[in-house]
Amino acid sequence: MTEALLVIYFLALLYALRAKPRYVRGPWLFLLRTFFPNWKFFHAVGHVPHLRVRAGVHAGGEEQWSDWQVIYPRRERHWWHLFHNPHTNLGLAQQNLVDHFWADVYDLPEGGDIRQLVTYPMMLRLAQGHLPEPTAGTPWTHWQMDLHMVLENRTAVVDAHTFVLGPVLPVGEGA
Amino acid sequence: MSAWQAWSAWPGLSLAEAWRLSQLLLAWSLFVQVLEYLRMDDATQADGLWSWALQRRDIPREWQRQVLDHLYAPHVHRLHLWLRLGLLIAWLVHSANPLWISLLFGSQLTLFVRWRGAFNGGSDFLTLVALTGQLAGTWLHHLFAAEWAWQAGLWYVSLQAITSYFISGWVKWLRPEWRRGEAMTIFLNAAIYGPLPPAHPLRSPWLARLGSWAFMGWECVFPLALLQPGLALVFCGVAAVFHFLVFWYFGLNRFFWAWIAAFPAIVWSAGQSWS
Repeated sequence: MTEALLVIYFLALLYALRAKPRYVRGPWLFLLRTFFPNWKFFHAVGHVPHLRVRAGVHAGGEEQWSDWQVIYPRRERHWWHLFHNPHTNLGLAQQNLVDHFWADVYDLPEGGDIRQLVTYPMMLRLAQGHLPEPTAGTPWTHWQMDLHMVLENRTAVVDAHTFVLGPVLPVGEGA
Repeated sequence: MSAWQAWSAWPGLSLAEAWRLSQLLLAWSLFVQVLEYLRMDDATQADGLWSWALQRRDIPREWQRQVLDHLYAPHVHRLHLWLRLGLLIAWLVHSANPLWISLLFGSQLTLFVRWRGAFNGGSDFLTLVALTGQLAGTWLHHLFAAEWAWQAGLWYVSLQAITSYFISGWVKWLRPEWRRGEAMTIFLNAAIYGPLPPAHPLRSPWLARLGSWAFMGWECVFPLALLQPGLALVFCGVAAVFHFLVFWYFGLNRFFWAWIAAFPAIVWSAGQSWS
Protein backbone atom coordinates (compact mmCIF):
# COMPACT_ATOMS: atom_id res chain seq x y z
CA MET A 1 0.00 0.00 0.00
CA THR A 2 2.76 2.46 1.00
CA GLU A 3 4.66 1.58 -2.15
CA ALA A 4 1.64 2.26 -4.39
CA LEU A 5 1.02 5.62 -2.71
CA LEU A 6 4.65 6.61 -3.22
CA VAL A 7 4.55 5.73 -6.91
CA ILE A 8 1.31 7.70 -7.37
CA TYR A 9 2.79 10.67 -5.50
CA PHE A 10 5.90 10.94 -7.67
CA LEU A 11 3.94 10.40 -10.89
CA ALA A 12 1.53 13.17 -9.85
CA LEU A 13 4.49 15.49 -9.19
CA LEU A 14 5.86 14.75 -12.64
CA TYR A 15 2.50 15.52 -14.20
CA ALA A 16 2.15 18.74 -12.18
CA LEU A 17 5.50 19.99 -13.48
CA ARG A 18 4.00 20.37 -16.95
CA ALA A 19 1.04 22.38 -15.68
CA LYS A 20 1.12 26.17 -15.84
CA PRO A 21 1.62 27.56 -12.31
CA ARG A 22 -0.99 29.85 -10.77
CA TYR A 23 0.12 32.44 -8.26
CA VAL A 24 -1.63 33.49 -5.06
CA ARG A 25 -0.32 36.74 -3.62
CA GLY A 26 -0.56 38.55 -0.31
CA PRO A 27 1.83 40.29 2.08
CA TRP A 28 1.78 37.52 4.68
CA LEU A 29 1.96 34.81 2.03
CA PHE A 30 5.14 36.49 0.80
CA LEU A 31 6.60 36.76 4.30
CA LEU A 32 5.72 33.14 5.12
CA ARG A 33 6.52 31.66 1.71
CA THR A 34 8.89 29.13 3.27
CA PHE A 35 5.77 27.09 4.08
CA PHE A 36 5.32 26.56 0.32
CA PRO A 37 8.64 25.30 -1.06
CA ASN A 38 8.82 24.99 -4.84
CA TRP A 39 12.24 23.22 -5.01
CA LYS A 40 13.11 24.81 -8.34
CA PHE A 41 16.74 25.87 -8.06
CA PHE A 42 18.83 27.42 -10.85
CA HIS A 43 16.45 25.98 -13.39
CA ALA A 44 16.15 28.71 -16.06
CA VAL A 45 18.80 30.80 -17.77
CA GLY A 46 17.72 34.36 -18.54
CA HIS A 47 18.42 38.01 -17.97
CA VAL A 48 19.96 38.64 -14.55
CA PRO A 49 19.27 41.98 -12.82
CA HIS A 50 22.44 43.87 -11.88
CA LEU A 51 22.24 46.99 -9.75
CA ARG A 52 24.63 49.71 -10.93
CA VAL A 53 25.56 53.10 -9.55
CA ARG A 54 27.40 56.12 -10.90
CA ALA A 55 28.36 59.43 -9.33
CA GLY A 56 28.70 62.89 -10.83
CA VAL A 57 30.06 66.34 -10.22
CA HIS A 58 29.38 69.80 -11.66
CA ALA A 59 32.70 71.12 -12.89
CA GLY A 60 33.29 74.17 -15.08
CA GLY A 61 29.60 74.43 -15.94
CA GLU A 62 29.59 70.84 -17.15
CA GLU A 63 28.26 67.68 -15.60
CA GLN A 64 30.78 64.87 -15.36
CA TRP A 65 29.81 61.30 -14.51
CA SER A 66 31.88 58.34 -13.41
CA ASP A 67 31.49 55.04 -15.24
CA TRP A 68 28.62 52.84 -14.10
CA GLN A 69 29.80 50.55 -11.33
CA VAL A 70 28.17 47.14 -11.00
CA ILE A 71 27.14 46.11 -7.47
CA TYR A 72 27.40 42.36 -7.75
CA PRO A 73 28.71 40.32 -4.82
CA ARG A 74 31.94 38.39 -5.29
CA ARG A 75 33.77 36.76 -2.41
CA GLU A 76 36.97 34.84 -1.82
CA ARG A 77 36.43 31.18 -0.98
CA HIS A 78 37.77 29.47 2.15
CA TRP A 79 37.20 25.89 3.29
CA TRP A 80 35.99 27.04 6.71
CA HIS A 81 33.12 28.89 5.06
CA LEU A 82 31.36 25.52 5.23
CA PHE A 83 30.96 26.12 8.98
CA HIS A 84 30.75 29.90 9.17
CA ASN A 85 29.99 32.09 6.17
CA PRO A 86 28.13 35.26 7.17
CA HIS A 87 29.86 37.60 4.73
CA THR A 88 29.13 35.41 1.70
CA ASN A 89 25.57 34.75 2.83
CA LEU A 90 24.97 38.50 3.17
CA GLY A 91 26.26 38.94 -0.37
CA LEU A 92 23.83 36.27 -1.59
CA ALA A 93 20.98 37.93 0.32
CA GLN A 94 21.93 41.26 -1.23
CA GLN A 95 21.65 39.83 -4.74
CA ASN A 96 18.32 38.17 -3.78
CA LEU A 97 17.12 41.63 -2.79
CA VAL A 98 18.07 42.98 -6.22
CA ASP A 99 16.14 40.08 -7.81
CA HIS A 100 13.11 40.94 -5.64
CA PHE A 101 13.33 44.58 -6.68
CA TRP A 102 13.26 43.52 -10.33
CA ALA A 103 10.24 41.25 -9.65
CA ASP A 104 8.44 44.00 -7.72
CA VAL A 105 8.91 46.53 -10.54
CA TYR A 106 7.89 43.92 -13.13
CA ASP A 107 4.68 43.23 -11.20
CA LEU A 108 3.79 46.89 -10.69
CA PRO A 109 0.38 47.69 -12.14
CA GLU A 110 0.10 50.28 -14.91
CA GLY A 111 0.77 53.72 -13.38
CA GLY A 112 2.11 52.16 -10.15
CA ASP A 113 4.57 54.20 -8.10
CA ILE A 114 7.99 52.58 -7.72
CA ARG A 115 8.59 54.66 -4.58
CA GLN A 116 5.87 52.68 -2.80
CA LEU A 117 7.86 49.48 -3.08
CA VAL A 118 9.69 48.35 0.06
CA THR A 119 12.61 47.25 -2.09
CA TYR A 120 13.05 50.69 -3.67
CA PRO A 121 14.53 52.50 -0.62
CA MET A 122 16.56 49.37 0.08
CA MET A 123 18.07 49.59 -3.41
CA LEU A 124 18.78 53.29 -2.90
CA ARG A 125 20.60 52.45 0.32
CA LEU A 126 22.53 49.62 -1.31
CA ALA A 127 23.56 51.80 -4.25
CA GLN A 128 24.44 54.74 -2.03
CA GLY A 129 26.85 52.55 -0.10
CA HIS A 130 28.76 51.68 -3.26
CA LEU A 131 29.51 55.11 -4.76
CA PRO A 132 32.83 55.04 -6.63
CA GLU A 133 35.84 56.80 -5.13
CA PRO A 134 36.02 60.45 -6.28
CA THR A 135 38.62 61.09 -8.96
CA ALA A 136 41.08 63.99 -8.68
CA GLY A 137 39.98 64.59 -5.10
CA THR A 138 36.78 66.44 -6.04
CA PRO A 139 33.87 65.10 -4.00
CA TRP A 140 30.84 63.89 -5.91
CA THR A 141 27.79 66.13 -5.79
CA HIS A 142 25.14 63.75 -7.12
CA TRP A 143 24.54 60.12 -7.94
CA GLN A 144 22.19 57.77 -9.77
CA MET A 145 21.39 54.06 -9.80
CA ASP A 146 19.99 51.81 -12.48
CA LEU A 147 18.81 48.24 -12.75
CA HIS A 148 20.60 46.64 -15.67
CA MET A 149 19.39 43.38 -17.17
CA VAL A 150 22.22 41.17 -18.41
CA LEU A 151 21.98 37.99 -20.47
CA GLU A 152 25.12 35.88 -20.74
CA ASN A 153 26.02 32.74 -22.61
CA ARG A 154 28.95 30.47 -21.79
CA THR A 155 31.58 33.04 -22.69
CA ALA A 156 30.16 36.55 -23.11
CA VAL A 157 27.34 39.01 -22.53
CA VAL A 158 24.85 38.65 -25.38
CA ASP A 159 22.30 41.28 -24.33
CA ALA A 160 22.08 44.07 -21.78
CA HIS A 161 19.57 46.83 -21.26
CA THR A 162 18.43 49.25 -18.57
CA PHE A 163 15.20 48.22 -16.89
CA VAL A 164 14.94 50.97 -14.26
CA LEU A 165 16.80 54.28 -14.33
CA GLY A 166 16.74 55.94 -10.92
CA PRO A 167 16.49 59.69 -10.34
CA VAL A 168 19.58 61.86 -10.02
CA LEU A 169 19.98 62.52 -6.29
CA PRO A 170 22.29 64.81 -4.33
CA VAL A 171 25.05 62.94 -2.47
CA GLY A 172 23.82 62.26 1.03
CA GLU A 173 20.24 61.91 -0.10
CA GLY A 174 18.81 58.45 -0.57
CA ALA A 175 17.19 56.17 1.96
CA MET B 1 29.48 -12.30 5.05
CA SER B 2 30.82 -10.23 2.18
CA ALA B 3 30.65 -6.44 2.17
CA TRP B 4 28.00 -6.66 -0.55
CA GLN B 5 25.85 -9.02 1.52
CA ALA B 6 26.27 -6.85 4.62
CA TRP B 7 25.30 -3.77 2.66
CA SER B 8 22.23 -5.33 1.04
CA ALA B 9 21.07 -6.94 4.29
CA TRP B 10 21.46 -3.78 6.37
CA PRO B 11 18.02 -3.09 7.90
CA GLY B 12 18.56 0.66 8.14
CA LEU B 13 18.24 2.96 11.12
CA SER B 14 15.88 2.16 13.96
CA LEU B 15 13.12 4.68 14.64
CA ALA B 16 14.81 5.97 17.81
CA GLU B 17 18.20 6.26 16.07
CA ALA B 18 16.74 8.13 13.10
CA TRP B 19 14.73 10.47 15.31
CA ARG B 20 17.65 11.42 17.57
CA LEU B 21 20.12 11.70 14.68
CA SER B 22 17.68 14.01 12.87
CA GLN B 23 17.47 16.18 15.97
CA LEU B 24 21.24 16.39 16.37
CA LEU B 25 21.88 17.28 12.74
CA LEU B 26 19.04 19.80 12.60
CA ALA B 27 20.22 21.42 15.83
CA TRP B 28 23.74 21.68 14.37
CA SER B 29 22.38 23.18 11.14
CA LEU B 30 20.39 25.78 13.11
CA PHE B 31 23.42 26.45 15.32
CA VAL B 32 25.53 27.30 12.24
CA GLN B 33 22.76 29.65 11.06
CA VAL B 34 22.38 31.49 14.39
CA LEU B 35 26.11 32.12 14.70
CA GLU B 36 26.00 33.69 11.25
CA TYR B 37 22.96 35.84 12.12
CA LEU B 38 24.83 37.12 15.17
CA ARG B 39 27.71 38.22 12.92
CA MET B 40 25.26 40.09 10.65
CA ASP B 41 24.26 42.54 13.34
CA ASP B 42 25.46 45.61 11.38
CA ALA B 43 23.26 44.79 8.38
CA THR B 44 20.10 44.90 10.51
CA GLN B 45 20.90 48.14 12.36
CA ALA B 46 19.00 51.38 11.62
CA ASP B 47 21.56 52.43 9.00
CA GLY B 48 22.03 48.92 7.58
CA LEU B 49 20.60 47.54 4.35
CA TRP B 50 18.08 45.39 6.25
CA SER B 51 16.97 48.16 8.58
CA TRP B 52 13.61 47.35 10.13
CA ALA B 53 12.56 50.99 9.63
CA LEU B 54 12.65 50.33 5.86
CA GLN B 55 11.25 46.82 5.96
CA ARG B 56 8.33 47.41 8.28
CA ARG B 57 6.26 48.61 5.31
CA ASP B 58 6.09 44.94 4.26
CA ILE B 59 3.69 44.41 7.16
CA PRO B 60 0.12 45.21 6.11
CA ARG B 61 -1.47 46.51 9.33
CA GLU B 62 -0.23 49.20 11.72
CA TRP B 63 -0.87 47.21 14.90
CA GLN B 64 1.14 44.31 13.46
CA ARG B 65 3.97 46.73 12.66
CA GLN B 66 3.92 48.06 16.21
CA VAL B 67 4.14 44.57 17.69
CA LEU B 68 7.03 43.68 15.39
CA ASP B 69 8.76 47.01 16.08
CA HIS B 70 9.27 45.77 19.64
CA LEU B 71 10.34 42.29 18.57
CA TYR B 72 12.85 43.58 16.02
CA ALA B 73 14.33 46.40 18.12
CA PRO B 74 18.08 45.73 17.75
CA HIS B 75 18.70 44.81 21.40
CA VAL B 76 15.63 42.52 21.53
CA HIS B 77 16.61 40.86 18.25
CA ARG B 78 20.12 40.25 19.58
CA LEU B 79 18.72 38.80 22.81
CA HIS B 80 16.42 36.58 20.77
CA LEU B 81 19.40 35.18 18.84
CA TRP B 82 21.37 34.47 22.03
CA LEU B 83 18.37 32.73 23.61
CA ARG B 84 17.96 30.69 20.46
CA LEU B 85 21.61 29.70 20.65
CA GLY B 86 21.14 28.55 24.24
CA LEU B 87 18.07 26.55 23.30
CA LEU B 88 19.97 24.84 20.50
CA ILE B 89 22.85 23.89 22.77
CA ALA B 90 20.30 22.39 25.17
CA TRP B 91 18.76 20.49 22.26
CA LEU B 92 22.15 19.19 21.15
CA VAL B 93 22.86 17.65 24.56
CA HIS B 94 19.34 16.64 25.49
CA SER B 95 16.36 15.47 23.43
CA ALA B 96 13.78 18.25 22.94
CA ASN B 97 10.51 18.58 24.77
CA PRO B 98 7.42 20.06 23.04
CA LEU B 99 7.94 23.49 24.60
CA TRP B 100 11.52 23.87 23.35
CA ILE B 101 10.68 22.80 19.84
CA SER B 102 7.63 25.11 19.76
CA LEU B 103 9.82 28.02 20.84
CA LEU B 104 12.38 27.16 18.17
CA PHE B 105 9.68 26.92 15.53
CA GLY B 106 8.14 30.29 16.46
CA SER B 107 11.58 31.86 16.64
CA GLN B 108 12.35 30.52 13.15
CA LEU B 109 9.22 32.16 11.72
CA THR B 110 10.09 35.52 13.24
CA LEU B 111 13.58 35.26 11.75
CA PHE B 112 12.08 34.61 8.32
CA VAL B 113 9.85 37.69 8.60
CA ARG B 114 12.86 39.75 9.73
CA TRP B 115 14.62 38.76 6.48
CA ARG B 116 11.61 39.44 4.24
CA GLY B 117 10.32 35.89 4.17
CA ALA B 118 13.54 33.96 3.65
CA PHE B 119 17.22 34.60 4.18
CA ASN B 120 18.69 31.94 1.97
CA GLY B 121 15.85 30.47 -0.12
CA GLY B 122 16.11 26.70 -0.44
CA SER B 123 17.95 26.08 2.81
CA ASP B 124 15.20 27.99 4.63
CA PHE B 125 12.57 25.80 2.95
CA LEU B 126 14.19 22.58 4.11
CA THR B 127 15.01 23.98 7.55
CA LEU B 128 11.32 24.71 8.05
CA VAL B 129 10.36 21.27 6.73
CA ALA B 130 12.72 19.60 9.22
CA LEU B 131 11.51 21.78 12.09
CA THR B 132 7.88 21.07 11.17
CA GLY B 133 8.59 17.32 11.18
CA GLN B 134 10.20 17.63 14.61
CA LEU B 135 7.40 19.84 15.94
CA ALA B 136 4.63 17.49 14.76
CA GLY B 137 6.45 14.32 15.86
CA THR B 138 7.38 15.71 19.29
CA TRP B 139 3.91 17.03 20.07
CA LEU B 140 2.08 13.94 18.80
CA HIS B 141 4.45 11.68 20.73
CA HIS B 142 3.90 13.81 23.84
CA LEU B 143 0.10 13.60 23.48
CA PHE B 144 -0.33 9.98 22.37
CA ALA B 145 2.93 8.27 23.42
CA ALA B 146 2.82 6.33 20.16
CA GLU B 147 5.53 5.33 17.68
CA TRP B 148 3.52 6.60 14.74
CA ALA B 149 4.12 10.19 15.92
CA TRP B 150 7.86 10.03 15.19
CA GLN B 151 7.18 7.96 12.08
CA ALA B 152 4.88 10.68 10.72
CA GLY B 153 7.50 13.35 11.40
CA LEU B 154 10.25 11.36 9.67
CA TRP B 155 8.09 10.46 6.67
CA TYR B 156 7.20 14.13 6.19
CA VAL B 157 10.85 15.21 6.19
CA SER B 158 11.91 12.30 4.01
CA LEU B 159 9.24 12.88 1.36
CA GLN B 160 9.92 16.61 1.17
CA ALA B 161 13.68 16.08 0.89
CA ILE B 162 13.31 13.44 -1.83
CA THR B 163 10.78 15.70 -3.58
CA SER B 164 13.33 18.52 -3.54
CA TYR B 165 15.82 16.41 -5.55
CA PHE B 166 13.14 14.97 -7.81
CA ILE B 167 11.60 18.35 -8.76
CA SER B 168 14.95 20.10 -9.01
CA GLY B 169 16.20 17.40 -11.40
CA TRP B 170 13.14 17.23 -13.62
CA VAL B 171 12.68 21.02 -14.02
CA LYS B 172 16.24 21.17 -15.30
CA TRP B 173 15.72 18.17 -17.54
CA LEU B 174 12.85 19.99 -19.23
CA ARG B 175 15.13 22.94 -20.13
CA PRO B 176 17.20 22.65 -23.34
CA GLU B 177 20.00 24.87 -21.93
CA TRP B 178 20.50 22.35 -19.13
CA ARG B 179 20.42 19.38 -21.49
CA ARG B 180 23.06 21.10 -23.65
CA GLY B 181 25.22 21.68 -20.56
CA GLU B 182 25.32 25.46 -21.09
CA ALA B 183 23.32 26.38 -18.01
CA MET B 184 25.84 24.91 -15.60
CA THR B 185 28.71 27.03 -16.96
CA ILE B 186 26.53 30.16 -17.03
CA PHE B 187 25.41 29.72 -13.40
CA LEU B 188 28.96 28.92 -12.26
CA ASN B 189 30.25 32.09 -13.94
CA ALA B 190 27.63 34.14 -12.10
CA ALA B 191 28.34 32.45 -8.74
CA ILE B 192 29.60 34.44 -5.77
CA TYR B 193 33.00 32.68 -5.90
CA GLY B 194 33.05 32.93 -9.67
CA PRO B 195 33.59 33.41 -12.50
CA LEU B 196 35.26 30.14 -13.49
CA PRO B 197 38.95 30.58 -14.39
CA PRO B 198 39.53 30.55 -18.19
CA ALA B 199 41.11 27.09 -18.15
CA HIS B 200 38.62 25.50 -15.74
CA PRO B 201 37.47 22.03 -16.94
CA LEU B 202 33.79 22.96 -16.58
CA ARG B 203 34.27 25.53 -19.34
CA SER B 204 34.66 22.57 -21.68
CA PRO B 205 31.24 22.08 -23.34
CA TRP B 206 31.33 18.26 -23.33
CA LEU B 207 32.44 18.06 -19.69
CA ALA B 208 29.77 20.57 -18.62
CA ARG B 209 27.18 18.48 -20.49
CA LEU B 210 28.43 15.26 -18.90
CA GLY B 211 28.33 16.84 -15.44
CA SER B 212 24.84 18.27 -16.02
CA TRP B 213 23.44 14.97 -17.26
CA ALA B 214 25.05 13.06 -14.39
CA PHE B 215 23.58 15.17 -11.61
CA MET B 216 20.22 15.77 -13.32
CA GLY B 217 19.86 12.01 -13.84
CA TRP B 218 20.80 11.30 -10.23
CA GLU B 219 18.26 13.87 -8.95
CA CYS B 220 15.49 12.54 -11.22
CA VAL B 221 15.84 8.97 -9.94
CA PHE B 222 16.31 9.92 -6.28
CA PRO B 223 12.98 8.29 -5.24
CA LEU B 224 14.69 4.93 -5.94
CA ALA B 225 16.53 5.55 -2.65
CA LEU B 226 13.36 4.33 -0.96
CA LEU B 227 13.88 0.82 -2.33
CA GLN B 228 16.43 -0.24 0.25
CA PRO B 229 18.32 1.36 3.20
CA GLY B 230 21.76 0.56 1.73
CA LEU B 231 20.73 2.21 -1.52
CA ALA B 232 19.43 5.22 0.42
CA LEU B 233 22.84 5.48 2.07
CA VAL B 234 24.50 5.57 -1.37
CA PHE B 235 22.06 8.25 -2.63
CA CYS B 236 22.66 10.32 0.51
CA GLY B 237 26.45 9.89 0.17
CA VAL B 238 26.33 11.22 -3.40
CA ALA B 239 24.01 14.00 -2.18
CA ALA B 240 26.57 15.01 0.46
CA VAL B 241 29.25 15.36 -2.25
CA PHE B 242 26.79 17.27 -4.44
CA HIS B 243 25.91 19.72 -1.65
CA PHE B 244 29.59 20.18 -0.85
CA LEU B 245 30.23 21.14 -4.48
CA VAL B 246 27.27 23.55 -4.37
CA PHE B 247 28.88 25.12 -1.31
CA TRP B 248 32.31 25.15 -2.97
CA TYR B 249 31.13 26.99 -6.07
CA PHE B 250 28.12 28.98 -4.86
CA GLY B 251 28.98 29.59 -1.21
CA LEU B 252 25.74 27.95 -0.04
CA ASN B 253 27.01 26.37 3.18
CA ARG B 254 23.54 26.45 4.75
CA PHE B 255 22.21 24.16 2.00
CA PHE B 256 24.84 21.56 2.93
CA TRP B 257 23.81 21.34 6.59
CA ALA B 258 20.07 21.69 5.98
CA TRP B 259 19.97 18.72 3.59
CA ILE B 260 22.37 16.58 5.65
CA ALA B 261 19.87 16.96 8.51
CA ALA B 262 17.23 15.23 6.36
CA PHE B 263 19.37 12.17 5.55
CA PRO B 264 18.47 10.09 8.65
CA ALA B 265 14.78 10.45 7.74
CA ILE B 266 15.49 9.28 4.16
CA VAL B 267 17.54 6.25 5.29
CA TRP B 268 14.95 5.31 7.92
CA SER B 269 11.99 5.57 5.52
CA ALA B 270 13.86 3.40 2.99
CA GLY B 271 13.72 0.65 5.59
CA GLN B 272 9.95 0.95 5.90
CA SER B 273 8.64 0.48 2.37
CA TRP B 274 9.85 -2.19 -0.10
CA SER B 275 12.46 -3.82 2.10
